[in-house]
Amino acid sequence: MSSRSRRLGRVNWPGLLTLALLAGAWEATVRWSLLDYQYLPAPSAIARGARTLLASGELIPNVLHTLMVTLIGWSIASVIGIGLGLLLGLSPTAYRYSMTSFEVTKAIPPITFVPATLLIFGFSLRMELVIVVYVGVWPVLINTIGGVRGVPGELLDLGRMLHMSSWTRVRKLIVPAAVPEILVGLRLGLTLCLVLAVVAEMVGNPAGLGHALVRAQQALQPEKMFAYVLSAGVLGITLNALFRSAASWMLPPPAGGPEGGTP
Amino acid sequence: MQASDQPITQDAPTADRTEPQAQVKRKVTFQCRNLTVELGSSEGATCICRSVNFDVREGEFISIMGRSGSGKTTLLRILGGLLAPTPDSSVRYYGERVEGPPPGVITVFQNYAASLLPWRTVEKNVALGLEGKVGREEARERVADALAMVGLGKRAKDYPWRLSGGMQQRVQLARALAMRPSVLLMDEPFGALDAMTKTSLQDELLQVYERTGATVVFVTHDIDEALYLSDRVLVLQGDPSTIGESLPVHCSRPRHQIETKQSEGFLALRRKVYEAIMQRHE
Amino acid sequence: MTAQTATRPDSGRQQSAREERGNRKRTTPFPLLRGLLPLVVLLSVWELAGSPGSPYFPPPSTWGSALIALWENGVLLAAVVATLTTFSIALGAATVLGAGVGLVVGGSPAADRALGPTFEFARAMPPAAMVPIATLLLGYDETMKVTVVTLAAIWAILLNTRAGVRRIDQTLLDAARSLQLGKLDRIRKVIVPALLPAIFLGVRVAAPIAVVITLLVEILTNVEGVGALIAQSQRTFQPARVYALIVVAGALSFLVNAVLGAIESYVFRYRPSTAGGGE
Repeated sequence: MSSRSRRLGRVNWPGLLTLALLAGAWEATVRWSLLDYQYLPAPSAIARGARTLLASGELIPNVLHTLMVTLIGWSIASVIGIGLGLLLGLSPTAYRYSMTSFEVTKAIPPITFVPATLLIFGFSLRMELVIVVYVGVWPVLINTIGGVRGVPGELLDLGRMLHMSSWTRVRKLIVPAAVPEILVGLRLGLTLCLVLAVVAEMVGNPAGLGHALVRAQQALQPEKMFAYVLSAGVLGITLNALFRSAASWMLPPPAGGPEGGTP
Repeated sequence: MQASDQPITQDAPTADRTEPQAQVKRKVTFQCRNLTVELGSSEGATCICRSVNFDVREGEFISIMGRSGSGKTTLLRILGGLLAPTPDSSVRYYGERVEGPPPGVITVFQNYAASLLPWRTVEKNVALGLEGKVGREEARERVADALAMVGLGKRAKDYPWRLSGGMQQRVQLARALAMRPSVLLMDEPFGALDAMTKTSLQDELLQVYERTGATVVFVTHDIDEALYLSDRVLVLQGDPSTIGESLPVHCSRPRHQIETKQSEGFLALRRKVYEAIMQRHE
Repeated sequence: MTAQTATRPDSGRQQSAREERGNRKRTTPFPLLRGLLPLVVLLSVWELAGSPGSPYFPPPSTWGSALIALWENGVLLAAVVATLTTFSIALGAATVLGAGVGLVVGGSPAADRALGPTFEFARAMPPAAMVPIATLLLGYDETMKVTVVTLAAIWAILLNTRAGVRRIDQTLLDAARSLQLGKLDRIRKVIVPALLPAIFLGVRVAAPIAVVITLLVEILTNVEGVGALIAQSQRTFQPARVYALIVVAGALSFLVNAVLGAIESYVFRYRPSTAGGGE
């Protein structure tokens, strides 16, 4: 089979058809007002709304703002998370004398810190960044600790057998063995950073997709709201996909082959 | 493909011939004619067995052997009514076409861990097939009997994970026995166990076989095991496979792990079965 | 090899790791308390350095008095009840719907293929961003809260159930058929109990998400609940109350987790030890 026809064969036609049918049903529901929702826009209206937003130049700057905050916050969070995670993962003393504190703090839903940061930093970019960094640190931290502490004993024995210094062991055995799990943490962190950026914008920082969404709500423009939500979704999918391909480029292919099933 | 029921071992020890006439007169439990199996996958069907013919007679202990991939397990699943052969095949159980698991036919699987319900205690696992079919009192009795038969009377209240592999396999056997089966279909039941456990379970199975008079169809890849347990060994050959040989085992019962396995007849047959399995069909 | 490394004197890292795990299982209070040290230090410094009138960092003792005041006028209890109500209804609905759809999708590859892209699309929509839309469509009420939270929590349960259905061993189904179990008995006695761990794992993953989204909806819409109380305290510049309520929210999410953990270890008491549940 040529690669092209194979790719065509892999397109999930029944799936796409279902999606199209659902969209059609939605359109029909709104057109003939089968359901009584005053503010439910039809898919066609949402598409028009998105086009208006693109044309008027409202969409792109908002997307860029959210994207920028997400990426900056995520980068800072990753550095902190990996650094702290390595420390706690490698040093049993540090782990013993702090892990409970981290677990207690982790139990507090980060969303509740949004009002607190709002109190401290006011309506500002700083407030948004603090929230994004805070939420992004957790998965990276937890997975780094897990990855480092989960390194199989055989690998450590190997290091001892080859008379590696402890620094060499960390550099050549422990950290590489922990990379897959750290990457999972980074990916989770990226998703959370984006979500919290949008939330922070909705509540606190008057900029970006979240703020635009709330403004559209106040203006009773549901088609614009849907367009913004879709943009946030597309942004999330894109970031995730980019991260995945970057990660798979970094990592050797998994031994068991790719995971089964259509996405 | 006709499977000869003739004793092929001319030099078989005369002492332990188990009246071949009587065997012929016994009722036919399973009759397979022109049995063809195709397993479908997304890339199309693969033919596993082609026109397999054989009979299993009442009270007989038959082993099915063959290289891996020769369709031993598939054959057993068909007898157990868990898999359907191609429409032109004929599989009959006491004259009735097999469509779904026939009553009185119980399969014992190799993977005991996957076939026991981890959320039920040993006795509740054994009772699974009886629930709603026999009275409470009778069910309790049958479960106790079955567990006693496999020597697990004291572990009735334990959950399966507390038991060793050998014990878990005994539970599965007890679960089958509680159904008072007329046929036991056993799919490499001892394949995952260590050698010592395996031999003791073989002897227990033989005792159960003597006491219940059930017909047993036993799939294994262990030649010694097949010969030690069976009255007859069927060897699958070729790809798609057919019955290549049907070798009667003329060793007296009760059998003994050392004596039986060292007898001349046993050793000669062992060689024959080995050659039959290794033979290539070109 | 395990025993060998354990007796070797220089395998400190591993030994301590094992000791740590062992300790946590036995839940000796000592190492847990030891781990609380940084938090205790932080709060003490905060207490000593912070001034009670600080608009940003009022010391922890003021949180206590704020909490007591909220408790005494009944606001706190009402808010907690409202939050827990939304959370429970939504998680229940998500479990029923998620497990049901997961069962269908896991059992039928055709259904999975047909619904896959739709699910993928719906799942990609951030639930947080759905809140304003939901308020516009459904209004500021309990229905809206429950809908948003259910939609956010359903995916973990659905996906875990689907995976669980696919993981059921064929041998288990064969054994049930071989024992002459009827279709209904097979579902009731074999398939459903076999799926429960997967469904429950999904619930364990979904529960924290449901807590977060419940609080978020409340913060964003001011419909009664702990989240709304936090947002309101922030808007009226009562920092001590904000911090106190953050602690309450933490306690709630801890409680939810503990209750689910207890249910899990009761339902799955047949399993060896406490197999670590969801994250």
